[in-house]
Amino acid sequence: MKILSLIADSFFKILIPGIKVTIPLTVISFSLAMVIGTITALVQFADIKYLKQLARFYIWVIRGTPLLIQLFVVFYGLPSIGVVMNPFPAAILVFSINEGAYSAETIRGALESVPKGQIEAGYCCGLNFLQIMWHIVLPQAFKVAFPSLANALIAMVKDTSLAANITVMEMFMVTQQIVARTYQALVLYLELAFIYLMFSTVLTKLQTYCEKKLSAKGAR
Amino acid sequence: MIEVKGIRKKFGDLEVLKGLDLTVNKGDVIAILGPSGSGKTTLLRCMNFLERADEGTMYFDSDVVDMHKADKKTIHNIRNKTAFVFQSFNLFTNKTALENVTIGLTVARKMDKHKAEEIGKKLLDKVGLSDKYNSYPSQLSGGQQQRVGIARALAADPEIIYFDEPTSALDPELIGEVLKVIKELADDGMTMLVVTHEMNFAKNVSNRVIFMEEGKIISSSGTKEFFEEQKNERVRNFIKNILKKGE
Ligand SMILES: Nc1ncnc2c1ncn2[C@@H]1O[C@H](COP(=O)(O)OP(=O)(O)O)[C@@H](O)[C@H]1O
Ligand SMILES: [Mg+2]
Repeated sequence: MKILSLIADSFFKILIPGIKVTIPLTVISFSLAMVIGTITALVQFADIKYLKQLARFYIWVIRGTPLLIQLFVVFYGLPSIGVVMNPFPAAILVFSINEGAYSAETIRGALESVPKGQIEAGYCCGLNFLQIMWHIVLPQAFKVAFPSLANALIAMVKDTSLAANITVMEMFMVTQQIVARTYQALVLYLELAFIYLMFSTVLTKLQTYCEKKLSAKGAR
Repeated sequence: MIEVKGIRKKFGDLEVLKGLDLTVNKGDVIAILGPSGSGKTTLLRCMNFLERADEGTMYFDSDVVDMHKADKKTIHNIRNKTAFVFQSFNLFTNKTALENVTIGLTVARKMDKHKAEEIGKKLLDKVGLSDKYNSYPSQLSGGQQQRVGIARALAADPEIIYFDEPTSALDPELIGEVLKVIKELADDGMTMLVVTHEMNFAKNVSNRVIFMEEGKIISSSGTKEFFEEQKNERVRNFIKNILKKGE
């Protein structure tokens, strides 16, 4: 009985920071990551000197180092050179830059899957490079990249638990605090896992729905 | 109207165009024949700057353009006066037939959407696709796709259209519908440069024929003269062989 009431009591205590912190953290970070990833992919696709090298360097560094360490560098490291950030913005910065590097590769691959002939046809119709990208290549690439990006989003929801390490009051952090008071580690962490599972399940359903919608519209 | 002089193009060590001259007058329909690999596609691509020539001068209306050095703006201006129909159609697969035709107007020329659609529908009607405005390329046959390609080429009201083997990717039974559309354009007085292997089309529709081999034009004359008084034996054999294959 005690256990049941503990679960009931803690459920909303954990869920609320989930809604107030985990979800905004994910949504903001992922949106920024899409912008960063798209620009980084376009720079390479367009073969722009120097910027392309810079993009490769960024991807190389970010993908080659652990996310947790990136969080520590920004939150605990940067203050020593005078850059002090609150935990939440620091987490957003790191998650968006981190995911930006991964999605850049996904998006670049998707851009390259669009037949070159359509780009040439675009030039022949008088469009310029950006117009061709925006109206023709990106919409098709988005469709190709969508499943991978959706998976990345789901992964990011779970990865936000790492933000507890830089004192962001998200679900994991809150759960840890309840465990410290009640000593019910197994029950509470299972409960936390269950809440993450709920989030992921909703997103997976959403992904399936969107994929159906996308493939219905102007089948390739 | 358009004259090019001394076009040269190399891919690595391979010299694909070896100094070609070509004059196109308004209303000309010029068929370009020649064996595969002779540089026909490359010639058209260089003329539309999809490929950058190593050397060459283009006289387009009153403009003189160094084909190697032409800047973005010059290229853009030339492309505004020309259109290209591709062997593999190259329709925008995320756009409907109508959007394929209008995108150059609405996006590149910022034309009002309704006005552009009016033009687009008229052009699709012209190529016999009145019932396909909202179809996506994947829902169309090859012949229909190529007719959308032609409507798209017409949208910008070009002074000349380049066709690169417009029927080579089509099943035999679909070739006729596309050739018919091109013939109608010829009858309307459209200026066209058509790379083709369709001898009957060349005979009946073009007013001039050019034969290319190994990056050079080795025969060029009026259509009647080309087929009936051809002096070059290799050209005669080439024509004979193709006609035999067609039977
Ligand atoms: N982008 C390219 N890179 C290298 N070689 C090319 C390229 N495009 C064409 N070629 C070569 O140039 C020659 C002429 O090609 P092309 O103009 O396509 O001839 P055609 O259209 O008459 O068949 C061929 O040998 C071809 O392999
Ligand atoms: Mg060719």
